[in-house]
Amino acid sequence: MGTIIIIAVYGVYAAFWIRFFLHTLAWWRGRAEDMVAVLPKRPPLLKTWALTLRDVVLFWRLLKVNPALWFGEYLFHLTFLLVALRHLRYFLDPVPLWVWDLQLSGLIAGYVLPFSLVYIIAVRFFSEREKYSSTANVLLLALILAISSIGVLMHAFFKPNLVDVKYFALGLLSLAPAPLPTGVLFPLHLVLVLVLVALVPSHIVTAPLVMLEARRRELGLPQVMHEK
Amino acid sequence: MKNDRSFTEELSSRQMLELDACTQCGECLKHCPVQDVTGNPSVSPPEKIRMFREFIRKTDGLKAKLFGSTEVDRKLLDDFTKAVYECTTCGACGQNCPVGIFTQRLWPTLRKEMVKRGLGPIGVQANLPKVVKNSGNPYEKPAADRYRPWFPEHVAVAAKADIAYYAGCTGAYEAHPMVRGDALVLGAINEPFTMLPPEDEVCCGFPLFITGQHDLLKELVDRLVEGYRARGVKTLVCSCPCCVNIMSRDWPALYGRELPFTIQHITQYVSHALREGRLKITKELNESVIYHDPCYLSRGVGVIEEPREVLRSIPGVTVLEFERHGLNSRCCGSGGAARKVYHENAIKMGRQTIDEAVAKKADRLILSCPACYAKVNEAMQGHDRQIRITDIMELVSGLIEEGKRDR
Repeated sequence: MGTIIIIAVYGVYAAFWIRFFLHTLAWWRGRAEDMVAVLPKRPPLLKTWALTLRDVVLFWRLLKVNPALWFGEYLFHLTFLLVALRHLRYFLDPVPLWVWDLQLSGLIAGYVLPFSLVYIIAVRFFSEREKYSSTANVLLLALILAISSIGVLMHAFFKPNLVDVKYFALGLLSLAPAPLPTGVLFPLHLVLVLVLVALVPSHIVTAPLVMLEARRRELGLPQVMHEK
Repeated sequence: MKNDRSFTEELSSRQMLELDACTQCGECLKHCPVQDVTGNPSVSPPEKIRMFREFIRKTDGLKAKLFGSTEVDRKLLDDFTKAVYECTTCGACGQNCPVGIFTQRLWPTLRKEMVKRGLGPIGVQANLPKVVKNSGNPYEKPAADRYRPWFPEHVAVAAKADIAYYAGCTGAYEAHPMVRGDALVLGAINEPFTMLPPEDEVCCGFPLFITGQHDLLKELVDRLVEGYRARGVKTLVCSCPCCVNIMSRDWPALYGRELPFTIQHITQYVSHALREGRLKITKELNESVIYHDPCYLSRGVGVIEEPREVLRSIPGVTVLEFERHGLNSRCCGSGGAARKVYHENAIKMGRQTIDEAVAKKADRLILSCPACYAKVNEAMQGHDRQIRITDIMELVSGLIEEGKRDR
């Protein structure tokens, strides 16, 4: 079982990068000319980047259109990030000081994360204004809810041997895998994370780039008919 | 359907990124006018993107690259084609997209792909290239009737001038009070303007562009640009937002270089003349008017303030606003050439515009687009709520000094 999971880890990791490479190729290959108005000058660089940074970091566009959903999504993404950073302690040796500093906030985030997902699901399903939910989105939310709930269970009730977990993680990185820690929850947690990596939507990479383009377009709009 | 052709052929790199960046959150559905009247998520923006991603996977995914492209389900292709042509291409989805996808441009591009595959456009839209080629306009009307029924006899048109007026096909054939108003106001501004002869003022290309049929575009654009260049035109004035949109956004690319003139929407030209005192609105109008922003004028090219400036310059007028206005305006149903095929949707959307205007207790609904003008007027026929519909220049032309107007 342990060997199968270890092979799966490498397989999923390789598939992730192949997928990323293929997507990048596809973006690059977009061959048609972009028939968008040629503007006499590019919008101010600093303003464009500052507004894009706000869009990306604060999910500003979502806040403008749906504050209720924004609250859940922001909380989810923030706690997810903190939890992911907290997990770095398993992969780094020695563990940098900043990772230690994030442990408490990462721990709290780990408990908040499932609730943020339940909140998002509630807003999406029980709000009359929400009219569309894609199956892929729902699956993804359910998957992360399962992963985070198992994480909470492992922290609160069924603690795995953390030394074994760290040996296992470092072994994976050094291509000299250590035995899979015993128990049910940790392998399950890991397998679900692998499924998540396989399904992770590519918008996490492309959305910031599109937001930048959208800001450029919006700031350039006055030039189309006004500032020539 | 076997796919030897990649589904990415017509997409730019930016649009490839946009297709990937859609988070499928569904926020756009709350702003989609088609959703407002159909409530059918299968024709919604994220669903269209989901379907198109499926198509790309079939021709460009890893499996397709290793083992060759596989068949795309014909029903899925038909569903997609229907969805992308039922859209009014108003762009409200993109305006409210949490990622900022430029949908007002994406949907016409996806339509172009469907045309290349022989699946689009739908219904009467398919005749457009032939009709435009033969008659010069999408309505298959004779060039001799382009100006004659509405152009005021006393308004002088110069052979050459810095300013030119392009009436546009929809205005010239379907919204006479609007283009007559344009001509009267232009005549009242003390500046000579020129026009192309009716047989030379051909379609701007927008109906072909928006339905994804691009073959004739360059020919039309070259003909029009050269016609205005020969008349020494420095500024081309037009009242149709769709024409203005393609002129300012796409004509330079189609013409292959910078245009020899600038483009102005008529409200820009008139607000400027009002500010400089070259045009005076002398009559009072003690009414509350509500102004509808055409999608391709507001979201399309950012002309939002000038129409309001013109309306506010009318003594006695109170300008009301729709809940959704400016960049966030709601489509009246006439956009994207969908009105010709999905007539019922368009009528329902037009009635929503009318209902809100009535609910806001406006005396008059002011429009500044010939397609909106024709469709909203049509939507009012047989509707239980009624309001007076007036084009912005039709209104202004009735309020300027009579001597100036009828000079």
